[in-house]
Parts: sequence; structure tokens; C-alpha cells
Amino acid sequence: METPFTSKQDRIAMLKNCVFLQGMQDKVLDELASRAEMLWVAGGKTIVSRGETGSKMYFIISGHARVHHGEVTLANIGSGDVFGEMAVLDSEKRAASVMTESDSVLLSIERDAFYEALSADPGAFKSVIHAILQREREIINEVKTRSTKLMAYEKEMEIGRRIQADFLPKSVPEIENWDIASRFEAAREVAGDFYDVFKLNSHQHLAIVIGDVCDKGVGAALFMTLFRSLIRASSLYGNMGSALVDAGSGDAPITASEVLLNSMLTTNRYVATTHADSSMFASIFFGLLDTESGELLYVNAGHESPIIFRQNGETESLNITGGVIGLFPAASYAVDSVTLKEGDLILTYTDGVNEAKNTQGEQFTEQRIMQVAEPEAHSTETFLRIILDGVKAFRGAADQSDDITMLALRCLSLGAVD
Amino acid sequence: MATLNIMVGHAQGKVPVTILRAEGDIDAATHKVLQDKASEVIKAGSKHILLDLGGVNYMGSAGFRAIHAISNMLSDEKSSGLTKSAYLKLLKPTDAVARVIKTLGFDVYLDIYQDRDEAVNSF
Repeated sequence: METPFTSKQDRIAMLKNCVFLQGMQDKVLDELASRAEMLWVAGGKTIVSRGETGSKMYFIISGHARVHHGEVTLANIGSGDVFGEMAVLDSEKRAASVMTESDSVLLSIERDAFYEALSADPGAFKSVIHAILQREREIINEVKTRSTKLMAYEKEMEIGRRIQADFLPKSVPEIENWDIASRFEAAREVAGDFYDVFKLNSHQHLAIVIGDVCDKGVGAALFMTLFRSLIRASSLYGNMGSALVDAGSGDAPITASEVLLNSMLTTNRYVATTHADSSMFASIFFGLLDTESGELLYVNAGHESPIIFRQNGETESLNITGGVIGLFPAASYAVDSVTLKEGDLILTYTDGVNEAKNTQGEQFTEQRIMQVAEPEAHSTETFLRIILDGVKAFRGAADQSDDITMLALRCLSLGAVD
Repeated sequence: MATLNIMVGHAQGKVPVTILRAEGDIDAATHKVLQDKASEVIKAGSKHILLDLGGVNYMGSAGFRAIHAISNMLSDEKSSGLTKSAYLKLLKPTDAVARVIKTLGFDVYLDIYQDRDEAVNSF
């Protein structure tokens, strides 16, 4: 830093050009000018840092500077503007950082010198108050502009949320001898949970899908629609060679197990190759339930283990049979199976349930799900409501930070339906 | 707010290995610190990275995305998932992190070691 100007007249003229000082008498400005230090600063230099204590305020004679808080720009200022005055006037810590954007000439004035100038010239108070009020008005206008933009943005997000909701089933299919219910509670921030229940085109299999795309925000929401669509399309219309045929139909006599694997491998390979650079993935549980025999074939790709509540009071957690979907093109998955008998209930859920946090930062956990669950509840709808109430009671005043998704099925009786 | 510090160390096994020791939480707010540091050492010539997770108590999905991205940066061909990465390995994840690694199935794609020397010599 160097001092390029020495003439006091020059400095007075420059000070007069600054807001804050325009109403000050010449002799007071003269005194202030003699105590001011002139600085030549290269662009890109931080002059004041947020959180520091500081006794100097700065007037920009020439050049440009950026007032910021981290990456957020609060204001762009230039010749005639002042910064650092808040910490000087109220002795609090600096509220923002200021960095020069170009080579700049600044005048710095110490707190004592500024207060002495104010006491020597009561008229100067008026000018300072006027300048502060002017700045307050500008801030109010800025807040108003930003609020309007924020409202428009939130409206867009709301539209996005509604489009996303369209990718979830409007209702679960009604299947004879099975009681099925779902719950989806969206977090305020858009997230990437999804679930799906649909009948396979072939025989008695019912597809049950629940998944959670990593991360939050619009990216997760976009990928959620991709994962959900790929799974549904690949399991409904298995592309066997050149002919696009219904999976499991006579033209393509593949087993339910093959439908499952084909769907997961296709979805994984598509996302892992087409979107390799985004590193986006989803944990997905995909099951095919034979509604006549109660046999559930499933692939659990890195997802929270579904819990089976047996009618006799015992519980079982299903295995994980592979890694998450979408990262490694040649990943492999295994199919496992479990059989549901009359009165048994299966609960699938996303980490918005077991990782719901209370105000102390503790998680709800799988153990608490089992503690609050009442599998003897008269319907799966009630069963899910009781768990959701348990999560809400545990969370207390803490925010819901993630989507909560649950899907439950209970076997009412087995056997072929006429 | 969560913080994450990455310390860079070097060890010589059959090949030179860069050890990135992470301390703190690896989540949405901090994962870039890890990714940027890895990118920096890779640009400077590192070909084999051992990620020491001994000081990490929490790793969210953003952390796993960062690990996948680092694995891709190290390999000219994208990680296929057929074989474990020969260029990125993990060291001493804490119990909490090890549980999530297993749940998400990352142990299928990445070697995990408890002993530093054994890890270094495995490259």
C-alpha cells in the first residue's frame, strides 16, 4: 500500500464527495482529512473481514469493492461509498467482509477521529443520520426485491413438488386378500424419495418399489423421476432382444426373478453410464409379491431393510442383496425371497423414518420403529399412521429434514382368488 | 456447522501412495473439501489414494458421491464395479461409517483395510 496523494485540499475535496460527510463544515473536514490515511489497494484484496473487531472506516475515492458474506454478495460499492462504518459506530464485530474488485484508492479514518469530527460539528450528525437512513431505505428495497424473487422461486419449487408428486401412485391398487397402504410426507426442501406399487402384466405378481435418491434438492427430484420411470418401464416391458414385449408374458417366458434382476441391472447400467459424471445414486428395494402364495422375491440395493411383523409377534429384517443403484455399470445383484403368511405384515420405509432427528440430534432408529409399531392395528393405514405419529412425537420441535415414505402390506389370507 | 479437515501424507509401498486423512463429518456441506483435495493431489501426480476415515464420525450420501467421483478421477476408465478399484482404498472407517458403507454396498466396490501398512502394500 502506498500514499499517492498528499495535498490536503485534494483529500478534503475527496471527502466531500463521500456520502456521510457531505454536510460537514470545511474546517472539520480539514481536521478529518489531516487524520485520514490514504491507501492504494490492488484489486482482490480483503480490507475488512466479517467477525473481526475494527476501529477503522473506509471511504472509496476510486475503484470498486464487493461487500460479501462468504460467497453471497451483499452489495457492490464504488467511488463515494463508505464501508466499515457499522463496526466503527457501534463497536460491534464486522458484519460483512469487503474485498476490492479493482485497484482502488481508499481513505481510512479511525473511530476516535470520526467521533471528534462529529462532536465538533453538530450539523454533521444530520448528514450522517441522513446517510444511514438512506442506506436503510436501500436495504429495505433490496429485501423487497429479493423477497419477490424468493416468492417466485418458491412458487416454482411448489410446481416442481406437484410434478414430482405425479410420479408417485395416486392410490395403491386394491388386491383381494391383501391390505396395502402408503404414506408420503414431503420435507420442505425437495428430496428424492419415491415408491411404486403396480401389477405386473403377468399372473399374480405385484411389484413393490421404495427408493431414496441421494442428496436433496432439484437434482435429487429429477433423478427420482428417472429411477422410478426406468424401474417401471423395464419391469413392465422387458426388452428381450429386438422385440419389445410384455415381461413375463407368453412371448417372453421369463421368471419373476429374471424380471427383477433385468429391471435392476438395466436401471443401474443406464444411470451409471449415461449419468456417470453426476455420481447420483439411489438405494432401492424392489420386490415382486406372488399374491396367491405369499412369496416375495426381492432385490434390496443398499436400502433400509424392510421389516416383517409376523402374526406370532416375531420380527425379521430383510437382507441387503446388493449395492446402491446408479454408480457402477457392472454391479451385480442377488435375488432373495421370503414368504408372507396369513396375518403377516411387511413394512418398507426410507431413512426419513429411522433417521428422523429430535432436538438433541438423536435418531429415531429401526429399534424405535419396532417399539412404536402396532402390527395388530386393524388396518395398514392405521399401522402407518401410528408409526408416523411416533416419529412426530419423537421429533418434537425439530424440523422434518427429509422425506418420509412408508409402504405396508398385510396378508389377509392366501390362495387363489375366484 | 460441521467441519472437515483433510491432511495429506505419503507412503511408499510397491507404488507411491497418497494418504488422505479425513477428520470431521463428510456431508452435503463439507464433501467438496474432500473432493477438491483429492483433485489437487491427483493433478499433482497421485495415482493411488488411501482414504483414512479413522477421524470421520458421520458420512452422508454426499460423502459417498465424493468417493465415487474420486474413484472415477483416478481411473481412466470409469469404475465398472466388476472388480474393486485398484486406485482408491479405504482405511479404518469408524463403526458408524462402516455400517453405512456396508448398507450402501460400497464394500463391494472398494477394499477396506484396518492396518495402514497392509493397505499401502496392497496397491
